[in-house]
Order: sequence, then structure tokens, then C-alpha cells
Amino acid sequence: MTDASENETMTIKEQLLEYDRRFRETGCYAGITELKYREDDPLRYESLHTKLRSMTISAREMARSISASPGVREVGEMVVALYTPEGDAISLSTGIMVHVHTMSRFIKWMIQNGYEESPGICPGDIFANNDAFIGTVQVPDVMVVVPIFHDDELVGWAGTVAHELEVGGITPGGDVYLAQERFTEGLFVTAEKVGFNDELRRDYLIRLERNLRMPIYWMFDDKAKVAANLELRDQVKELIDDVGLDYYKRATREFIEEGRRAQLSRVKQLMVPGRYRGHTFYGHLTEGKPGILPLSDGNLLYSIPLELEVRGDGQMHLDFDGTGSWGYHSMNCTPAGMDGGLFVTLTQSMNYEGKVNDGAWLATDMNLPSGTWTNPDRHTVATATSWALLLPAFGIFQRLLSRGFVSRGFKEEAFVGQVNSPMVEMGGQSQYGDQFGMALFECSAAGSGALGIKDGIDTGYVGWNPESDMGNMEVWEQGIPMLYLGRSITADSGGPGRHRGGTSFTSTWLVHNTDELTIATSEHSSRVFDNAGMCGGYPAPTAHRHFTVRDSNIQQMVEERKPLPHELGSDPHMSDMERLVEGDKNVIEGPHIDKPLQSGDLFAHSYNGGGGYGDPIERDPLDIARDVENGYVTAEIAERTHAVVLDHDEERDTWRVDEEATVARRKEIRGSRLSKAVPVEDWIESERDRVLERDFVDEVRKMYQDTMGISSRFAEEFREFWRLPEDFAM
Amino acid sequence: MASYNHDTIRDLIDGRLPWQSTRSIMSQYKDDDRFFKYIDILQERVTFNDPILLPIGEHLYIVAKQGEPQGERVVKCGCSYEFGHYTRNWKLKAMINVRDDEEEIAEIYPGRHSYDPDWMEIREFICPGCATLLEVEAAAPGYPIVFDFLPDLETFYRDWLGRELPKESK
Ligand SMILES: [Zn+2]
Repeated sequence: MTDASENETMTIKEQLLEYDRRFRETGCYAGITELKYREDDPLRYESLHTKLRSMTISAREMARSISASPGVREVGEMVVALYTPEGDAISLSTGIMVHVHTMSRFIKWMIQNGYEESPGICPGDIFANNDAFIGTVQVPDVMVVVPIFHDDELVGWAGTVAHELEVGGITPGGDVYLAQERFTEGLFVTAEKVGFNDELRRDYLIRLERNLRMPIYWMFDDKAKVAANLELRDQVKELIDDVGLDYYKRATREFIEEGRRAQLSRVKQLMVPGRYRGHTFYGHLTEGKPGILPLSDGNLLYSIPLELEVRGDGQMHLDFDGTGSWGYHSMNCTPAGMDGGLFVTLTQSMNYEGKVNDGAWLATDMNLPSGTWTNPDRHTVATATSWALLLPAFGIFQRLLSRGFVSRGFKEEAFVGQVNSPMVEMGGQSQYGDQFGMALFECSAAGSGALGIKDGIDTGYVGWNPESDMGNMEVWEQGIPMLYLGRSITADSGGPGRHRGGTSFTSTWLVHNTDELTIATSEHSSRVFDNAGMCGGYPAPTAHRHFTVRDSNIQQMVEERKPLPHELGSDPHMSDMERLVEGDKNVIEGPHIDKPLQSGDLFAHSYNGGGGYGDPIERDPLDIARDVENGYVTAEIAERTHAVVLDHDEERDTWRVDEEATVARRKEIRGSRLSKAVPVEDWIESERDRVLERDFVDEVRKMYQDTMGISSRFAEEFREFWRLPEDFAM
Repeated sequence: MASYNHDTIRDLIDGRLPWQSTRSIMSQYKDDDRFFKYIDILQERVTFNDPILLPIGEHLYIVAKQGEPQGERVVKCGCSYEFGHYTRNWKLKAMINVRDDEEEIAEIYPGRHSYDPDWMEIREFICPGCATLLEVEAAAPGYPIVFDFLPDLETFYRDWLGRELPKESK
């Protein structure tokens, strides 16, 4: 087998094509059929891997302290990775690992599009990109890469991505909810050479300065990214001098091939071959909201079915056939974004040890039907908030994998999945009197789905960044014209189950020192739940209502030392904002797209919890008492859903399980379940009439028309399931 | 290679092992002999004698039937209720409760936690034998019931476990 070192006469583009050909022919990455170096001297080999890994991690930590934005500094929205000359990931830091493969797409795109000739790839060059059709997830994910040269030879790339908090789109912030086409998503940098001689170009920085609401975040983050890349580049060059170039080139490719093999054997170790299926839904509300353009006027319901086929050789095939068309909204996703979603799920569900790199991705493939939101067939489609559909989609993938883990006996790895959780984006006049824009990244601490053996993580997990953090309130307050009235656990936000989903939190704010604060929230499903449960566990409810009070009497309340609304409270029918405050009170369904707020107004936003696992009436009653005592679950849900009878000691505010009554109540619930339920076959018979009459609201009917039109397989299965005539159409 | 005894695995899957031990197992290389130990533990808990071939959820097992037709691979609940051949969706033989009105929704998702029954319904699949809630679907009205898992038993036993799969008489 030819070694990498023999390709010095090839252009990088030829090298990329050659390695692709070898992969097709041998089924092994870059044609590496034996892990020669690993076998010859495993210690030397592993030591190189460990060194590269620690270099990426330390480069990220250093960059975090350079960055100006709380997104990077506080919540760690950044990742650093090392690539082969053809753009395959060798090693990566912790952080937003979703971008390891999207950055790979960006590098490959430049090579495939002749960047070696023009604009040229030279030592000291800096390239940037935030175009998801080239390789990223969404506009705010701005990636910066630098080539690594050894003498005159390109031997790799160092790359860093950070999520920018403001991108200059139609609505302020990073995730531009109101973008309905590419033209309103904000500032694009499309695979552009933005620097040379290790410095960012002045004209590039001027462009940032003049096109963003809050340029310092992006500008200083870019400087931090360049610093991380240069640090990684220089360290790698030193290491190459140490181990020799030939060794470096061969060993780093062996890492990737080893990663591919490890993924296949891990599938065989943890899963069961077969066909897995699941789905989720996502509701998008636009009706009556300001700023919606004519083309996107209308509410939408998305169905997201996913089929996973686990093959005998350990290869996994994901199929999104049956999902809906892309639309004039910001939630579409490119194949690069879907790759990112797949990669970040795999790294957490299966590749939790050993070589985490592009090898895992090579051992998996996906069908992303053209024209659907997973693979739009034109590049002017908006993808500014693609996480909205991407997160629930890969949440299904986690549940499908978990079904396999449960079957195989590795229940400790079963995970009901990451959640999709809404985010607050804002802009307008800052508390200092300037223009500002901000993505409030405390959303990085939602609840997670339950595990097969324990409850989900409360207020501390999101899928895209396993190291997630909500950031300190005081730090956020420095960047926004709002003061926190409170941050508190949202009772009942986790899906009920034997193991309940992780709960989430709600923030309440007083708008402060501003005449104009525009809040545009993103990434939330409305009217339907997109974070499902499994094995008898219920889905988490979706936080789809915003509470505002304009012209409030808060000033007077403060002066009179009255109780303030620090949370929404435990009464699901009446929030503390409605109960305690006077003023113009509004409950807004779906995304908060509304006229600006100003000083003295109040705003509350909730994040999502995760789905539950197992029958809720099998939950340990003592766990429920603890949940109620700590505010995770209300006494009403404890009694109704978990069938636990609790005694409240009002004086000491403690809860005690009445064991006898609980046993009786659970028995009674089992009885009432059966008396209420009907055989599924009877239910299908009666529902069939409803389907035949097309007795659904417009959004549901439109969803069926769209998906049956785009997928003949789904249309066939739909007709077969309901035993409909062959010519049935919705 | 890691290997754990019967009681450790039992406590682990029940979530009763101390967190430190659980965490250490989760961070370790996996124990390759887990599957049949796991099956043994589950077999002790079910009320039937048919050998379990593969669990497919909580309380749900594909078994090789001891009675007639002998060896038939059927899905059973731990309470012995039989849902039919594993190649057909067990949910079709279950009981169902659909939450599609305000009162039913409010039992679990009251007030601001609710969903819109015109857009979505909660479907609870219940065992007719023991009333255990086996699976919950959140789906748009009219969406076909999902067939969660169709395992490739032959490949699994023959190629992945290196064991013979008990014969199924045709
Ligand atoms: Zn049963």
C-alpha cells in the first residue's frame, strides 16, 4: 500500500480524489488496510495521538480567555480541531464538537473548488466560512482555518469554530429567527481568504465592523480563533520535527482508519442488527406575527420520521425519507449541518473513548432526500436556525440507538435524547446607550432526556456541546439591558417516567435602561412536543409560551417592598407575572416576535426539559417525594401521573410517602387504564374513518399532502396502514 | 476485558448500583459477556418459561415459545401476555388510550404545559395483561403507528454472538 509520503508530486485536489478512490476500492480510509504503526509500536503511536489531542484542548482553553464574547468565554461555544491536508478530522478538542465534520466539508470544498490555484493556499493564509451550503450548520457558526505547511508541503489544517452572538440579520442575535431566505440571514463569509501573514485583513475587519450590530463579538472571537489555530499549527510543526514527517502522515491517517474500525466494532458490541424506527414532530407558528414575508405566511407542522438500519457488518444507515419539504423559514438544514448532527451524536453515544475523529463518520451513512428540509435543492434557502429541526431529528437517532442498547443489555448507555430548547436573541439599544445585539446562550443548560437507569440531567445539558454551561447571570447582565429577577427550575418540565426527563429552567427579567429592546426567540416547537420519551416514558412538554408585562407597576412594587415575580410559579394556569404584577400582560404563543420592549417591562422565557423513560407508575415513590420537595415536580403531577400519595407537613414543608395508599392508588390506576383503553385494532377501525374524511386541521392536512407528495414510500405505507384505496390522496 | 457478576449487572440495570460504581462501569471498556447474563436476570423476573431471545423494551421480550407452535418467536410482556409474531408490530395487539381532549391532556400536561390536540395526540400503548404502560407515542392525528424495532435475529445470533438461534418451526 502506498504511503502518504509518496504523494508529494500531487496537488491536494488530486490527493483528495486519490484517497476517495482508495476508500471506495478498499473500504478502508485512504486505502489503509493495516494499522502498521499501531501494531509495530503502539506506545509511540498512542503517545502521538494523546499529544495531538491535548494540543487541541489547550489551544481552545487559551482562545477562550482571549475571546470577548460570553458565548465563548462563559459557556464554551468553541471547538478546535486538526485535519489532514484533504480535510479529514484527526483530533479535536472538547466543546461544540458538532463542527468537527462541518469544518471538514469547508476544507474539502476549497480544495475541490480549485483554491490551490486561486486564491491560492499559502503559509500564513487564513480562511473563514459561515455558509452552511459549503460547510457549517448556520450563519453564526463562523469557522476559521489555517493551513499547516512543513517546508513547502501542505501537511494539514488547524481549524476553530465559535458560535457568534450577533450576525447582522433581519432579527438581532446569532440565530436569526425571522430569516426566510438567505438574503436576510445576516453577514456571509463564503470560504473566503480573510487574512495572510498570520493576520486578519484590515478590510475584512472593517466589513465586520460595519455590518454587525455588535461587531466586537465576531471580531474578537475571530482573533481568538486565529490565535488558537496558530498555537495548534506551531505545536504540530514542532511535533512533526520531533517524530518525522513520514511517521506523522501515516500515523495520523491510521488514527482515522482506526476510528472507522472502532465505530463498526462498537456497533457490533453495543447494538443489535435490524431496523429501528421513530419519529417526532415540530410546530412552527408564524400567523399574525410581524415581519413574516408573503412567501412564508402560514403555520407549519413538520413530521420527522427516522429509520435506522444496523447492518451485519456494523455499518449504520440513517434514512430521513418521509420528512417534509424545505420552506421559507430559517429552520432548514444543509447536509453539512446534518453531518454535524450525526457526528456530535455519535461522539456522545458510541465514541466516548479512543479515537474520536472522522473515522466514525465514515462508518455511517445517511439518506437526506433532496428537496426536504434536510437537503434543500437550492442554496438560497435559509438555515439560520437549523438546530430547530436538527436537534429533534438527532434526538430520535439517540432513542433508536438506545433501543439497541436496551436490547443488548447495556441499559446504562440508553439515553432518551438531547432536547431542542428555545433560545433568546435580542438587540436594540443597550443599557449603555449604544446599539447592541446578543444571543443569550443560557439555553446551553436545558434538561436532558432520561437515561435507562437514572433521571435525566437537570438544567445542564444540550446535544451540541457536552460541556454545556448556562453562564453566570451577572455576566449576561453586563451584555444586555435586562436585569434578572430570577432563574428557577421549571416544575414538571421533564417528561414523566420511571426515570424522569431532566428538568429545565425559566428566567424572568426586568427590562432596564433602554428605550428599545427587540427580542426574537428561536428554535422552539409550538403546539406539539418534539422531545419524546421511550419505553413508557412520556415526552417533555414544550415551552411554547412567552410572558410579557408592558407598562408594569414594578417600580412601585419595589418601593412598596411587595413580592416580585422571580419565576412563573408552580400554578400552570396562572403565572406569577400574571398574579403579582399590574400592567399590560401578554401571553405570546410560539416564538416571541413582537414590538420592542422598554425599561420597566417584564419578560419570561422557559427552556425545555427531556423525555422520560419507563412507566411513570413504576417510579420509586421516594424519588417523587424528593422531586416534589425540591420543586422538580408538582404535587398534582406526583399524584396523577406517578400515582404516589404524599402527605405534606406544612409546618416543616416536607413531603412523606403514604406507602399503603400509594400501593392502592397504583393498583387503581392499572385498573382504570384498562377500563379506559380500547384495543388498538378497534381504534384503527374508527380512526380510519377520520383519515378517509381527511378530518384534520389545515396544518396537519398540508403536512400529509407534502410528505406523501415527496415520498412515495411514506404515501404507500400510509395507505397500507389505514387500508385506504390506492388512489387516496390527502 | 471487563466482566461483572450477576448481582452487579442486576443492580446496574435497575439503577440501584451506587453512582460511583455505575460511573466507573460506564467509563470502562464494555463487558463483552453482558448479553446472556442480562438475559438470565430478565428470565428470573418474567412469569413464563419460554426462553427469552431478545428484550425489545421494558417488559417486552421476543421469546421462543415452548407451547404450540413450538419455537415460534413471539413478543411477550413480562406478565406472559402474548402480542404475536415478532415480525409484526406488537402495538397492534395492545390496548390504547389516546389523549386528545383538554381534560385528558391536563392530567399530565396542565395549563401552559399542554399541547394542541388538533396538531398532536398522546397515544399510550398498554399491556392488556398487566396494564403496564409499554410505550408512548406523540404523533400528529392520523399518523400511522410506528413499528419501533424489527431485529435481524439470525444475523445477531449467528454472526455477532456466535450462538445458534433456536429453530422456529414453519
Ligand atoms: Zn403485561
